[in-house]
Amino acid sequence: MTQETKPRALNRLKSMYALRAEVDRMYEGGVEASEEGKPVAWVMLEGWSNAILNAMGVKTVFPENYSSLCAAQGMAEPFMERSEAEGWPSHLCGYARASVGYSARMVDVGGKIPPEAPGGGMPKPTLLVASGETCDARFKWFQSLGRFFDAPVWTLESPSPGIRERLSSETYERNVQFLIKELKAFVAFLENLLGKKMDWDMLEFTGGGTNEINRLRWEINELRKSRPGPMHTRDFWSVMTAALFRGAADPEVIIEGHQKMYDEVTERVEKGIAGINRPEKYRMSFEGLPPWHTLGFLDQLAERGWNFVIESAYRPMRPRTVDLSMYDDPMERYVRRRYRSLEESLQEDYEPDEVEAIKNEIIRDGTSSRLGLKHISDYQVDGVVLHVLLTCRATSAGLNLLQRKILDVLKVPSLVIEGDIIDASAFNAAEALRKAEAFEETMDHYRKVRKELGMPW
Amino acid sequence: MVRIYFAGIDLGSTMTKVVILDEDEQVCAYVVNHTGAEHRRLANKVMEEALIQAGLCIEDMSFIMATGYGRINVPFADKQITELTCHARGIASFFPNVKLAIDIGGQDVKGLKIRNGKLLDFVMSDKCAAGTGRFLEVTAETLGLKLEDLGRISLGSTQKISVSSTCTVFAQQEVVNHLSNDVPLEDVVAGLHDAIASRVARMVRRLKVEPDVVFTGGVAKNIGVVKALAESLGCPILVPEEPLLSGAIGAAIIGKELTFKALANGETIQTGERRLEEATFFK
Amino acid sequence: MTSEVSKGLTRSIELYQDRSSRVKELRAEGKKVMGYLCIYPVLEMMTALDIVPYRIFGDLHEPVTEADSYMPAVNCPFLRSCLDIGLKGKYDFLDGIVTSHICDVGSTLSSIWIYALKPPFSHHIDMPHTLHETALAQEKGLLEDYKKALEGLSGKEMTSEALEAAIRVHNEQRALVRELYELKKLNPPLISGAETIQVIKAIESIPVDEGNQLLREVISEVKERSNGPQKKSSRLLVWGSIIDDTAMMEMIEGLDANVVMDDTCVGSRPYFDDVEITDDPLDGLAYHYLVDIKCSRTFRVNNYMDVHKDYMKDLEIRFSYLKDYADEWKADGVIMESVRYCDTHGYDVPGIRDYLDSIGLPSVYLEHDYTEGALAPLRTRVQGFLEIIG
Ligand code: SF4
Ligand code: SF4
Repeated sequence: MTQETKPRALNRLKSMYALRAEVDRMYEGGVEASEEGKPVAWVMLEGWSNAILNAMGVKTVFPENYSSLCAAQGMAEPFMERSEAEGWPSHLCGYARASVGYSARMVDVGGKIPPEAPGGGMPKPTLLVASGETCDARFKWFQSLGRFFDAPVWTLESPSPGIRERLSSETYERNVQFLIKELKAFVAFLENLLGKKMDWDMLEFTGGGTNEINRLRWEINELRKSRPGPMHTRDFWSVMTAALFRGAADPEVIIEGHQKMYDEVTERVEKGIAGINRPEKYRMSFEGLPPWHTLGFLDQLAERGWNFVIESAYRPMRPRTVDLSMYDDPMERYVRRRYRSLEESLQEDYEPDEVEAIKNEIIRDGTSSRLGLKHISDYQVDGVVLHVLLTCRATSAGLNLLQRKILDVLKVPSLVIEGDIIDASAFNAAEALRKAEAFEETMDHYRKVRKELGMPW
Repeated sequence: MVRIYFAGIDLGSTMTKVVILDEDEQVCAYVVNHTGAEHRRLANKVMEEALIQAGLCIEDMSFIMATGYGRINVPFADKQITELTCHARGIASFFPNVKLAIDIGGQDVKGLKIRNGKLLDFVMSDKCAAGTGRFLEVTAETLGLKLEDLGRISLGSTQKISVSSTCTVFAQQEVVNHLSNDVPLEDVVAGLHDAIASRVARMVRRLKVEPDVVFTGGVAKNIGVVKALAESLGCPILVPEEPLLSGAIGAAIIGKELTFKALANGETIQTGERRLEEATFFK
Repeated sequence: MTSEVSKGLTRSIELYQDRSSRVKELRAEGKKVMGYLCIYPVLEMMTALDIVPYRIFGDLHEPVTEADSYMPAVNCPFLRSCLDIGLKGKYDFLDGIVTSHICDVGSTLSSIWIYALKPPFSHHIDMPHTLHETALAQEKGLLEDYKKALEGLSGKEMTSEALEAAIRVHNEQRALVRELYELKKLNPPLISGAETIQVIKAIESIPVDEGNQLLREVISEVKERSNGPQKKSSRLLVWGSIIDDTAMMEMIEGLDANVVMDDTCVGSRPYFDDVEITDDPLDGLAYHYLVDIKCSRTFRVNNYMDVHKDYMKDLEIRFSYLKDYADEWKADGVIMESVRYCDTHGYDVPGIRDYLDSIGLPSVYLEHDYTEGALAPLRTRVQGFLEIIG
């Protein structure tokens, strides 16, 4: 067999490992804080609460991420079983169910970290911060954990008007005021809970760090447009945790790690080195959340020359500089630095005539079929893998629609793969591989179609 | 003194079971037969067989209770009660300390929480075949084995495989893969038993696992699954001598209790016509 | 116009079976008919502009064939059914559709509907999730947007007077539904759970004033009749997500039980609280739709600024209305029902079970995939439950 001499299919970035190690440190930090009697919050991935909590000295841990960590180590199953035994319906979000089981186990062992917990575990929460963003699970699930902890739950409300309304500047201003008020109420709640005052200077610092990390992630992703794609989706997923779920980790360390990664990717681009050790036959995008339990599946695809050059989840926002000098209120500065209008996002992302066309479509139809596709053309993707999750409605319900749009507008085909984020039993790797093989012909066909239409790739 | 008799008929999705008890709850006769599509209407035939075995006629039955999936289609029954209640009653009659009963039949899995012989709560699997007798049947077919041999074969396993999929179709594919990789048959079969056991254990845990745990239904005859289930639940498991009969026995006992209660109150018990007819429809 | 119009329960059944018959007549007369999904698209605002609200339902008896290519199977089977019959052209007569953020899939359905069916008018109300002060203000802001959109469609201004008048008629409808539910307190109840669904579905298929007329007819007819439901051993309260077909109620009521009360959205849920008429009517409407209506889609706590948490107290605040229902309607058991893949209701199941256990009310959870075939296995569960509580 020649296999032994062949390098592994994925060409992983060296700078990735250091960032991934930070994640372990983050969980350790949470446990230490709790041991020292410091407050710990269980939080969701969203743009607002984390920096505020950290500025108030609250360590943050992320059950969403922790569940994926359990799944990646093959440890999620017993927690999910337990959640079923506790009476949570089995179709609910895998992240949620794993954390329900984990919480139940915590109660079994007297509020401590269960001994079987991977990665050091998550300490008992002082409070839970749920989110009104992204999906229903993220605000229903923390409330349902009430059976295990008498920790208060704050659901961070977020403004989400219809897309047509989002074009109006009035609505934008309304949403900004909404966020300022909501976050101030949250701060008041925290001050009351913790018996201490918000450190606004600290917020400028923790919030500022986030912006810098985001900028670097954005720059790295820009580099990924080159041919061959220098960084594989798996590397992106591995470091995403350090960048986004970074708890109270030192922002400087994460920034430095990303700086190194930027340098490494730049070098690869210059030398024409790819994120896979095989010829890049197909440039791919992964739409939806990762199959944490079987990430190696992507390696098998890499073996066939599939290079995942971009992905839909956890993408950074385009960095921006805004003049905030006219705002005295630190919370207003915090909100305005991050929250942008639809108009602004469109201006940034599209050419002026395209912006007009999209706006007209939105006003006429209430949606535009061009939205959400830009990365497919920017990264000159040959095929898209759509990961339909058994337990996640939010990221799955719209995938068929996306599939149609990508094909209609960009002539790029998609391969639907059913599975789950956590539940390995929902995924049939052998069958998915068979489908993938057949899908190559489809991708070849659409390559020709695009050529005939004079599209750039 | 005239002896009186009670019949319980359990029309399950794959098996039909009839039991005739006397007033001391002694079994006078029992018959187990395939329900099978063509036999669905033949509840009367199974009943007849049991009567012949007992040397009795239908008029001798003081009460006939029907239970099981097809309970509404037994025209000569006096009353219908679900298999949930009947199983609980039947199992408690031979294991009075039962707290949790698990019944794995051809098409479904039931978990029963029982206290002092009374059903308190239950869980039931939905229509998916995974974890049921049907699943094992398909497996036996795939492997070219006899269903009843699976249990014995699995006992020889030294290193059972792990089957990650709980879906019947996926699991069969996994089995084929393992066999083509030269994994010993006994390890594959033991792995499948494990998969069933952990799925069932997962389901019944909501009822709290406390001894005595009793296992009934066709699959309880498979020693491999019994062993795997005991491991998954972490506690010993009791299996009645004839694990298929608990529903029918429970049905007959409940019929007896109703009759005696009515007699004690000086009421006459309402019974239907004693005509051994085919069921005319099956919904 | 039909000359001989039937009345009361007969009329309800007719409308239940042929829902669009009346609105199609009205369209022919030049009225606008607006489809809406779920109970949140503030019907008062449509009525105020003389637009007829017409609720979109699925069809449990129709196999899903078209929706598959737009929405994966692991999503709310009710919404998939709505989409499916929409794709089959059965809602083509509508002048538009208004949706809201009932749940994630509800919002996604809205985009799919717009993309695939290109309705002449569409509007989505992306409701907030909490009862925070900011959320209430946001809801009001969203209603202002909605108002503008409706005004644009009808070419008329929505005056406060017209809106107030509309609130009054809708409140009248709510009062009439509650009056009907009073008749379910008797033993046996004067109207069955299955008939109740027929009536509610009927009034959600015609203009509100006609619905009120129909309700009056039904109430007086039901009070007089002698062929109502039989007395049964158990009286049940049904909690859950949507039940827009009589099949499940018929299955339950075919056993030894009467369904005497419900907390579902083709039932009491949209009708049990009135809308308060406030200086700016939008305030009262925002409050009603966000705070009053108790559906799992909304995150409720007693006082969200309270830093102390007590699980049982929390459950009581969220679910004690179920105890009130059970007390007043003398229910001795609760069926918790949900379509599979409904997240918002699913997460509430353990908490409601804990609450009902704490007050000693037995319950059973039924999950189904919104097909006829799903009902047979459920029958055993319900009957087993009745045997336990009986
Ligand atoms: S988006 Fe999906 S995976 Fe993430 S929390 Fe929500 S339901 Fe779970
Ligand atoms: S039943 Fe659940 S998933 Fe379906 S529309 Fe209602 S809230 Fe959404």
